[in-house]
Amino acid sequence: MIVLDPNGEKLNLMPLNVGPSHPATHGCLRFLTALDGETIVASVEEIGYLHRGFEKMVERGTWQQVVPYTDRLNYCSAIMNNIAFCRAVENMFGVEIPERCKVLRVIVNELSRINDHFVCVAAAFQDLGGTTPFMYAFNPREEIMCIWEKLTGARLTNSFARIGGLYRDSYEGFEQDVLAALNSTEKALKDLHACLDRNRIFLDRTVGIGKISAEKAISYGWTGPCLRASGVASDLRKDEPYYDYETYDWEVVVGTQGDCNDRLQVRLAEIEESVKIVRQALKRLAPGPVDIVDPRIRVPSHKLAYQDMEGLIGRFKSVYEGIRVPEGEYYCGSECANGELGFTIISDGSGHPYRIKVRPPCLTQFAAFHELVEGGLLADSMAVLSGLNIIAGELDR
Amino acid sequence: MTVEEIFAALEGKFDVKREPLDKWGITAVVAAPYLHNAVQFLKEESGIKFDMLVDIAGIDYLTYPNHEGPRFAVSYAFKSMKNPGARIRLKVLVSEENLKVPTISDLYANANWYEREVYDQFGVIFEGHPDLRRLLNHVEFVGHPLRKDYPAQKRQWLSTNDYLLPELEKRLEELGYKVIQRSKEVETNDNEFLEGSIKE
Repeated sequence: MIVLDPNGEKLNLMPLNVGPSHPATHGCLRFLTALDGETIVASVEEIGYLHRGFEKMVERGTWQQVVPYTDRLNYCSAIMNNIAFCRAVENMFGVEIPERCKVLRVIVNELSRINDHFVCVAAAFQDLGGTTPFMYAFNPREEIMCIWEKLTGARLTNSFARIGGLYRDSYEGFEQDVLAALNSTEKALKDLHACLDRNRIFLDRTVGIGKISAEKAISYGWTGPCLRASGVASDLRKDEPYYDYETYDWEVVVGTQGDCNDRLQVRLAEIEESVKIVRQALKRLAPGPVDIVDPRIRVPSHKLAYQDMEGLIGRFKSVYEGIRVPEGEYYCGSECANGELGFTIISDGSGHPYRIKVRPPCLTQFAAFHELVEGGLLADSMAVLSGLNIIAGELDR
Repeated sequence: MTVEEIFAALEGKFDVKREPLDKWGITAVVAAPYLHNAVQFLKEESGIKFDMLVDIAGIDYLTYPNHEGPRFAVSYAFKSMKNPGARIRLKVLVSEENLKVPTISDLYANANWYEREVYDQFGVIFEGHPDLRRLLNHVEFVGHPLRKDYPAQKRQWLSTNDYLLPELEKRLEELGYKVIQRSKEVETNDNEFLEGSIKE
């Protein structure tokens, strides 16, 4: 198309479509760019290629049946989504979960965060042509995946948390496995830093690319590592602490430039902080129950159901009718790997959710994508996209 | 200043009501004509500056037990960056006959996509929105799927990609460019294209 630029000069722009099935548009994202040579003049995005109707589907089941659906939001850190949803419902009940459950949730939360950040950084490297760091990051990730396998029976979509507890207690040798994974995580971090901190090619591709100011990021509703990379120390684990996060010794990581490099570096530094938290949590892990003992919230165990009349009734009722969440409207946000994962929950007091609205952290970040890439090179848009860590599963729901 | 005081100020200025269903936080029910001003007040003037729009959610009360009043609602969640932990929600009731709510996309950049999503899923029209298109559902999709009377099992035949070139031109104009010759692919009422390449 032929256009006049703001100075009145004639330009011949080429519209170029990127995605939805492009190797660097992880998941399914599409954007249409107007190119002047190799420079992006304007860009518009389209999303929805992975829209499954999460919010419609969950209205048809019981409250417990929502949990496996939440796995499919951010599938890189599935357990985190489970926990965020269960926490929201538990807050509506106004119940406290047992101490061991809290500590276990902190451990799996932070391990998921490590996992998610590793995937993001590794994929960003891969998109920029670096395969070695990808392997460095995926080694510890594999160890955490093996822990998931032992703990939950699944690698990717685990469905580990339950409303009022966990699917099961940890297995024997869990602590040793986690410690081993933490050690290899730290080793991988050293290797990754060696690969990228002074790597001219990588720095040229990421420093100053896709910059966003703190004000703009806030106006776009950015949360999580991407916002922190712009220099805003905002983390729900510190701001609105839950699961005693405030009692652990760790720091909120912030960047300075708000560019692509900062977003990746913030993630790597956050992995370090997560390792710190997990190490402290392992020390706090004392024996005890993991589930709330209340058949109206948590399904009674098989043992109770087979030996005890009350347990059998409780199990039957909560499986067939679903638990009855108190009537009301509630918004609850938790700090997930990409930012604030929020659930607006409308309950009519019956066994089925009336309406659940997910606030995916990715959506706000992808909404600002055109501002990040306009004026840059087409190749830079790939670096920006992978630095944002857009997960189509939660973007499109 | 606490959120309670902000709510009291809102009550005095915009005649809002406390939503009794929100037992865990503060939700102010505001009439649609006051919405824009109320949001501006929350963002700029109130003691706690609610500078981040966290979420916009549509609600359809069609099958809600013993519900009285308008069928739809749009709920806005805000949080403050300067006062961590301060949150407030606003709610606008929307009747089926007059599905209109003023846009707040001029105040918050992310409201643009959130409002598009509510329009897409519930059919609520945001007056003054610069680009009210579907967000998650397909361009050829008919109906609004999150309404309670939309059957979950219903299937629709969708054939083609979203036609983004007109939006790209719009974006270029926003940036100060002037399109003098359109790309030859741009034919906004090209039936052949809209029907799609796959024929039933």
